[in-house]
Amino acid sequence: MASVIVNFELCGRDVEVLVQPMATLQSVLRNQLGHTATKEGCRQGGCGSCTVLVDGEPMLSCLLPVEDVAGRRVTTLEGITPIDGLDPIQEAFLESNGFQCGYCTPGMVMVTRALLDHDPQPGREAIVEAISGNLCRCTGYQPIIDAIEKAADRLSGSGEQTGER
Amino acid sequence: MTVTDYFLPGSLSEALDLLGAHGPSLMVMAGGTVAMPLVNDGISLPGKVMGLRHAGLDDLREEGGGLYIGATVTLTRLLRQRAVPMLSEAARSTASWSVRNMATVGGNLFTPPPGGDVAVALLALDASVTLAGPAGTRVVPLGAFHTGFMTNVLQDGELLTGLRVPAVAGDTAYLKFGRKAANTPSVVTVAVRVARRGDTVTDARIALGAAGPHPLRAGAAERALVGSTLGPEVIEAVAAVAAEESQPFSDGVASEWYRRRMVRLFVTRALERIRQGGEGR
Ligand SMILES: Cc1cc2nc3c(=O)[nH]c(=O)nc-3n(C[C@H](O)[C@H](O)[C@H](O)COP(=O)(O)OP(=O)(O)OC[C@H]3O[C@@H](n4cnc5c(N)ncnc54)[C@H](O)[C@@H]3O)c2cc1C
Ligand code: FES
Ligand code: FES
Repeated sequence: MASVIVNFELCGRDVEVLVQPMATLQSVLRNQLGHTATKEGCRQGGCGSCTVLVDGEPMLSCLLPVEDVAGRRVTTLEGITPIDGLDPIQEAFLESNGFQCGYCTPGMVMVTRALLDHDPQPGREAIVEAISGNLCRCTGYQPIIDAIEKAADRLSGSGEQTGER
Repeated sequence: MTVTDYFLPGSLSEALDLLGAHGPSLMVMAGGTVAMPLVNDGISLPGKVMGLRHAGLDDLREEGGGLYIGATVTLTRLLRQRAVPMLSEAARSTASWSVRNMATVGGNLFTPPPGGDVAVALLALDASVTLAGPAGTRVVPLGAFHTGFMTNVLQDGELLTGLRVPAVAGDTAYLKFGRKAANTPSVVTVAVRVARRGDTVTDARIALGAAGPHPLRAGAAERALVGSTLGPEVIEAVAAVAAEESQPFSDGVASEWYRRRMVRLFVTRALERIRQGGEGR
C-alpha cells in the first residue's frame, strides 16, 4: 500500500506527513507528530478524549482520515498551552478540581475553547450540552462545569460572539 | 487498517466515475461517524474507500418555501438553519456537538436504528431524495427509500446527492426520548405534522424512529387522525394505533415491550403539543 503525503497547519505551524491511506488524524498526531495530549479512548466517536479543533470547530480525531484535513487548521491542547504557565481554561480546571486522572481533560479543554469562542458567557445548560460528547469517569462532571463557568467569567469580554453552535 | 486507496473526489462526476471504475467494493463514506468506528474496530475491512467531504454535495438553500439539503451538509449546519425549525430540533437531538460537526444529513438515512433521528423528521416533512448514477438522476420519496433493516433502493453505482423538503402545511412537533438528556440513543423518536381546517384534521404525518427496521410512518394512525378533531380521546386512540402498528425491537437501550409503550406515550405527547399550539413548521 502506497503512502501518501498530507500537508496541514498544526497549532500554527505547517506540517507535512507521510501516512498510510486513511490513517486517522488521531494516530498521526500521536504516533508521528508527538501530540499525545490528544487521547485514544474508544476510537468509536463515543468518548471525546480525542477532540481537536479543525478550523476552530471541535471534531473527533479518531473518526477523521488525515487526508480530510489537508490544508486545514488543526489545533490540539499543545497549541493552546503557553510555553510558560497555563491557559486560563487550564488554570480554571486546576483550581476547580476539574480533573482527577486527567484522561478526559484535553478533550474537555478543547471543547471549552471552542464553546467560549462561540459563546463567551454560556449558561450551565449550554455548558452541559457542549460537553455531552465528552465522558469523564472520575469527577462526576460538576467540577468540570464549575471550571468552565469560572473560565468563562474570567475570559468574557475578551472573546467575540460568533453565534450559536 | 486494510485500506490501500483512499479517494477524495472533488466533484460529483469524479465520484461517480470512481464508483463506476471500482464497483461495489469501493466503500463510500461521508462524515464517517458510522463508517469509521467499524473500520477502527476491524468490523469493516475495506480495501478502497471514497470520502465525499470534498465532492461539492454540501449546498444548503431555501427553495420555493422549502429547503434543499445537499447530502454532505453537516448536522451542525442543519441545526443552525432557520427555515425549517423541526429539522433544527432534530439535528440538536442527534449525537453530540463534535459528532454533529462531522456527521452528514445524507449519512443519517443510512444509519441503522436506533439511529436515524434526522430522517424521522424528514419523513414527516415529505422529503424526497435525489440519487445520481451512471444513467442520470432520479428522485425518490424518502418514504420509499428504505426497504428493510440497512437496505434501501440505492443501486450499485449510485450516490445520494441531496434531499428536498417541500413547503408543507400544518403544525409540527418533534420529540426524541432517550435515557439521558443529551447525546443519547433513541428509545423512541416521534415527528408529527398535522394540517387542520377549522377543527378538522385534513392531513397528518406520524413518523417513528427506533420503532422498526428503519424510520417509518405510522400509516394506520395517520388515517385514523385525518377527518377527526384533535381532542384528548382522538389523540389517545391514534397513539394506540401507532403503538400497535409500530415494529419496535430490543437492544441495549430499551426492550421491545418498553419501546411500544413509549411510542404510545410520545405520539400522545407530540399530538398534545400540536393541540395546545404546535411549534410552527
Ligand atoms: C457518539 C455518536 C453518537 C451518535 N448519536 C446519534 C443519534 O443520537 N442519532 C442518530 O440518528 N445518529 C447518531 N449517530 C450516528 C451518526 O452520527 C449519524 O447518523 C450521522 O448522520 C451519519 O452520517 P455520516 O455522514 O457520519 O455517515 P457515514 O459514516 O459517512 O456513512 C455511513 C454509510 O452511509 C452510506 N452513505 C453515506 N452518505 C452517502 C451518500 N451521500 N451516498 C451514498 N451512500 C452514502 C455509506 O454506505 C456509508 O458507509 C451517532 C454516532 C456517534 C459516533
Ligand atoms: S477516541 Fe475518539 S471519541 Fe473516543
Ligand atoms: S478526570 Fe478521569 S476521566 Fe475525567
